[in-house]
Amino acid sequence: MSAQAPARVESSGRGSGTWMVVPALALLVLFFALPYLSILTMSLREASTRAVYADGFTIAHYTTALGDGFIWGILGRTLMIGTIVTVLALLLGYPVAYHLARSRSRWTSLLYIFVLSPLLVGLVVRTFAWMIILSNNGVANQALRGLGLIDFPLQLMNNTLGVTIALTHVFLPFIILPLLGNLQAISPDLAMASRSLGASRLRTFLKVTLPLSLPGIQAGTILVFVLSISAYVTPAMLGGSGGRTMSVLVVQYLIDSFRWPAGAALAIIMASVAIIFVSLYLRLTARAMRRLP
Amino acid sequence: MSSVDKTIWDRLFLVLVGAIYIFLMFPIVLVMLLSFNSGEFLAFPLEGFSLRWFESLFSNKRFLDATLYSVRIAAISTIVNGVIGTLAAIYVARHARTGARNWLRVLMTGPLLVPEILTAIALLFFFYEIGVGTDYSIGIQIGHIVVTFPYVFLNVSSALFNFDRSQEEAARSLGAGPWMVFRRVTLPAIKPGIITGCLFCFVISFDIFNISLLLKSLGNNTLPLELFDYLRFNFDPTAAAIASLSIFLTFAAILIIDRTVGLRSLRF
Repeated sequence: MSAQAPARVESSGRGSGTWMVVPALALLVLFFALPYLSILTMSLREASTRAVYADGFTIAHYTTALGDGFIWGILGRTLMIGTIVTVLALLLGYPVAYHLARSRSRWTSLLYIFVLSPLLVGLVVRTFAWMIILSNNGVANQALRGLGLIDFPLQLMNNTLGVTIALTHVFLPFIILPLLGNLQAISPDLAMASRSLGASRLRTFLKVTLPLSLPGIQAGTILVFVLSISAYVTPAMLGGSGGRTMSVLVVQYLIDSFRWPAGAALAIIMASVAIIFVSLYLRLTARAMRRLP
Repeated sequence: MSSVDKTIWDRLFLVLVGAIYIFLMFPIVLVMLLSFNSGEFLAFPLEGFSLRWFESLFSNKRFLDATLYSVRIAAISTIVNGVIGTLAAIYVARHARTGARNWLRVLMTGPLLVPEILTAIALLFFFYEIGVGTDYSIGIQIGHIVVTFPYVFLNVSSALFNFDRSQEEAARSLGAGPWMVFRRVTLPAIKPGIITGCLFCFVISFDIFNISLLLKSLGNNTLPLELFDYLRFNFDPTAAAIASLSIFLTFAAILIIDRTVGLRSLRF
């Protein structure tokens, strides 16, 4: 820590710790920011039949992709899945986070494990579990047939439905944890004060707890949205062709058909749409939070 | 509101929350049950207790190699990010000028804000352009470090944000030097954030798929890739045995964390 000594001599104080950020900055500029330029340049390369790309430049990949109804359909489906999964995860995750934040029981640690373990088990394994449940001879169809509710198996996977159910489960912990941190930080005295001043439980929740937990909701929903529109494993394993999303399509372009420039253009389109969505959402929620008393 | 109403609402709420907990755990419990089932197929009814699928797993050298490879990559990512992520978080929270702070935050959380699959694609093209290609493990290792970096940065930043700075100032005014203040005041206060960040870093690195799919070098599969490949052609309980094993390991890790820093310290 010899760098600390000269740092103290400098009287400016603020700029003194620059060395601390240098390794992280180098990592992220060199291997994160710079490579993104490669997608851009790759998307402008000409296609080639002999190599993954040719040397000339063209914007043909964008015009082709944007004029293709098939690709618009997949983009729309991806955004729809992302939105539904985010809403479902919030609706299912909020009660759990609320319960966990209030829980004083000695079983609380066990409940934490319930919330955490799906997160730690691994995406491929969890999606595999959903294949066991949702396939035509799977547990869900077996149960429904056993109860006499259906005669023929329902199509629960290889479509959007299966992908949505599995993604909601897969990313649920990602909304519970930020919310939990947020709800734990809210002093229980505030809710108590509201109750003792005569507000009902519902009113206390709507006027005190919910507004104070908006930062947690914002963080969690963005996380889940970005994770679910970019998910590859779950739609690749459960989606079939009826539940194909942008990520699956892009990987097909890159790995199966070696159309790197066209795949890069699709990736750029997907990224732009994601950025627009998230920044619009950030602006909207920031305005909503500012309007709070 | 009368006390009778209260209990009804409480019970309804508990039923709802209980159902969600069951939804969370159901697939995992199911996989575990089926991994101990002696039957040939991944289906009910259960036929009997058996360890045959675990035997089949442990006799599979590819799965063992893949597990070791995944552990190695996750461990290196965790160590690297534990150091540079913590330092960067302290710099951004304590030293950066207000103008620089915002764009630094965006850059540092960037890998989390953009889809992982895009970062994988970007790195694939980049390594190809600079001539490294995917011939070595260094490509996949750098990919893992980049993608898991924000988990350490965010957790340490959040710990720093919640930590009352006046404690540092008090230590300074009592004559402690910057290094002493860091070691005796700041570091103990942000330790839960560092541990949580590193835990997440390790687990996410162990789990991520897209980076590994696109950047893997020939013949080196991580565990998720190996399992994915396996499931393409086999839909048998050996895969469930892998799942069970990873669940046991997870529970062990959680217990250790609960005993050392406490699960309640988890923050985002």
